[in-house]
Amino acid sequence: MARRILFVTTDQQRYDALGCNGGRIARTPVVDRLAATGIRYERAVPQNVVCMPSRATMLTGQHVRNHGVWMNGVPLPADAPSVAGLLHDAGWRTGLFGKAHFEPFLDPFLRFPESRMGRHRQPNEDGRPHRGFDHMELAGHSGAGLVHYSGWLREHHPDHVASYYPPIDGTMDVNAAGGGETGAPQVGENPIPREAHHTEWVVDRALAWLDGMADADDWFCWVSFPDPHHPWDPPASEVGRVPWRDLDLPAGYPADREERERLLDAKAPHWRRWYDGDLVSNYEVPAKWVPATLTADQVREVDARTHVSNELIDEALGRLLSALDRRGWDDDLDVLFTTDHGEFQGDHGLLFKGPYHVDSLMRLPLVWRPAPSSGVAPAVVDGPVGLLDLAPTFCRIAGLDVPGWMDGAPLPASTGEWSQRKRPAVLTEWDSRHPSGAEVHLQTITTDGMVCTRYEPGTSHDGSEGEMWDLSADPLQRVNLWDDPARRSGRDDLLAELDALLPDRPAEPLRVEAPV
Amino acid sequence: MHRELVIGAPADEVWSVVAAPERQAEWFPGMVSSAVEGTTRTVVAAAGAFFLEEILAIDHDRRTFEYRITGPMVVHHHRGRISVLDDDAGSRVVYEQEIDPKALASVLDGAIGDALEGLRDLVLHGRTSRAWEPPASTGGGVGS
Repeated sequence: MARRILFVTTDQQRYDALGCNGGRIARTPVVDRLAATGIRYERAVPQNVVCMPSRATMLTGQHVRNHGVWMNGVPLPADAPSVAGLLHDAGWRTGLFGKAHFEPFLDPFLRFPESRMGRHRQPNEDGRPHRGFDHMELAGHSGAGLVHYSGWLREHHPDHVASYYPPIDGTMDVNAAGGGETGAPQVGENPIPREAHHTEWVVDRALAWLDGMADADDWFCWVSFPDPHHPWDPPASEVGRVPWRDLDLPAGYPADREERERLLDAKAPHWRRWYDGDLVSNYEVPAKWVPATLTADQVREVDARTHVSNELIDEALGRLLSALDRRGWDDDLDVLFTTDHGEFQGDHGLLFKGPYHVDSLMRLPLVWRPAPSSGVAPAVVDGPVGLLDLAPTFCRIAGLDVPGWMDGAPLPASTGEWSQRKRPAVLTEWDSRHPSGAEVHLQTITTDGMVCTRYEPGTSHDGSEGEMWDLSADPLQRVNLWDDPARRSGRDDLLAELDALLPDRPAEPLRVEAPV
Repeated sequence: MHRELVIGAPADEVWSVVAAPERQAEWFPGMVSSAVEGTTRTVVAAAGAFFLEEILAIDHDRRTFEYRITGPMVVHHHRGRISVLDDDAGSRVVYEQEIDPKALASVLDGAIGDALEGLRDLVLHGRTSRAWEPPASTGGGVGS
């Protein structure tokens, strides 16, 4: 009996993007059905809130300090272990379609294999698996770049290579140019036909690879949608699905400016500094955009466009699953759906992401639909789990021992199983050094009901700062309990637990080879 | 950015390669070509992008080569300098760059590290970099 794992990721997608998680805007019946017949996790937490470190964790099952990708632009070492490699060595066919980002995107000298493979439109290098994947066809967030999608677009839709919003401006900063009807940053009109958009291309290429599988083949297929990550430029033909003027403001957006600023002042100082335009701590944010200029209408327009992308992803996934069902493969197919980190999308008066460990970025959608043949009952798990638990889960599905180099543990299939975990808390780290010189370092522990963040000394912090949130009493994370004397003992317990989880820092951090 | 490497060959021998700006693509991995016309060098990178550079100075006495990137991307400031120094083990090559926009610094830093190793490979073993296309080549080079 063949076993099959379909691992589906989006990029920068919020927990509440999905209907099964309470989302009321995007229609996501495909993922909702997976959740209804599978296991839905209410508190899935990334080990880092930017792409490369989080994706390295998904591939290796390791904490950031152990795989070493501490910031975007740091490539995962060529000899890093990989769950895809384990599966490949056990005889599984392995493929990745869409965004990889284990190596930097900005690579004019083709120093990295992903760039070379993309530039030359090869599924691997010299016929050898890359990071354990027999076959890779890669995409990014636009029509340009060193990815297979760009080459495909140049060949089949040359008029649309330039249709996407340019993610980088002429000075090598992330583009801050406004667009749409509200002038929101990173919003653009994209005339590309839907069938040529990277969301559809990712599924097309995955299906082309899977068409070559025999019924007896064990396969692991990672389908990695680049959306709904900014730029917010879904195909123009689809934008009308969610009219922004019809949307209420998100619950997490404090519409009153004074209240918004008061809430930011209650957090660590870099929040307000960024909001005011005094600090840019990470390259992924448009350096020329000042969050204080964000208007309520811009929040709605970004929200609307994001949900258009969320719908398109769900429909594309439905197309993929229908095709697999027609092959008769569904009964032995495990499907896992998640994302690498979240997005502010208006919460706290902000957009994008950065060193801010709140639910906007830290509470992720995660659904596991076990193979129906396994007989696992549907469930909801409300305790925290990490993305580092994905790789061990793939091992368990494949009947492989979880290797000692993985830090995670297989995902629990029920809250009862969760409560049996040796370490029920989850760690998230951030370390950054921006080209401007700004340095930010923080670590966060998420337990059942609490999130506690400690800041180390940096250019905005002296090491005394922190945040602590009671998720039950304060789901919008507006009341910072860090300095509350009545919560001091609880805080100390959480920090002790954090220290127990935290691996040692590597003696020498890996080198940053590009800004992203 | 500052990278350096000791090469087990006399400094004059290493300098003879560095001082020929049209030869840089032979040893700089990821460069397809480095054509010189007057004081302008045009470098084509393996990904298809190109850099325009102005050759500022070639000092045979001090064995230093200086240049700057002038375009086509917006570059507020750039200086590159390669120095070949005597060393007990042969020669020590120092490759330094400053650049604004700073976002490009990490990209160039890694590349010049590879470049010094490529220089050593060429001087000691006669191996040219993988992307380099000899000027007489009619092949398409990298591309789809």
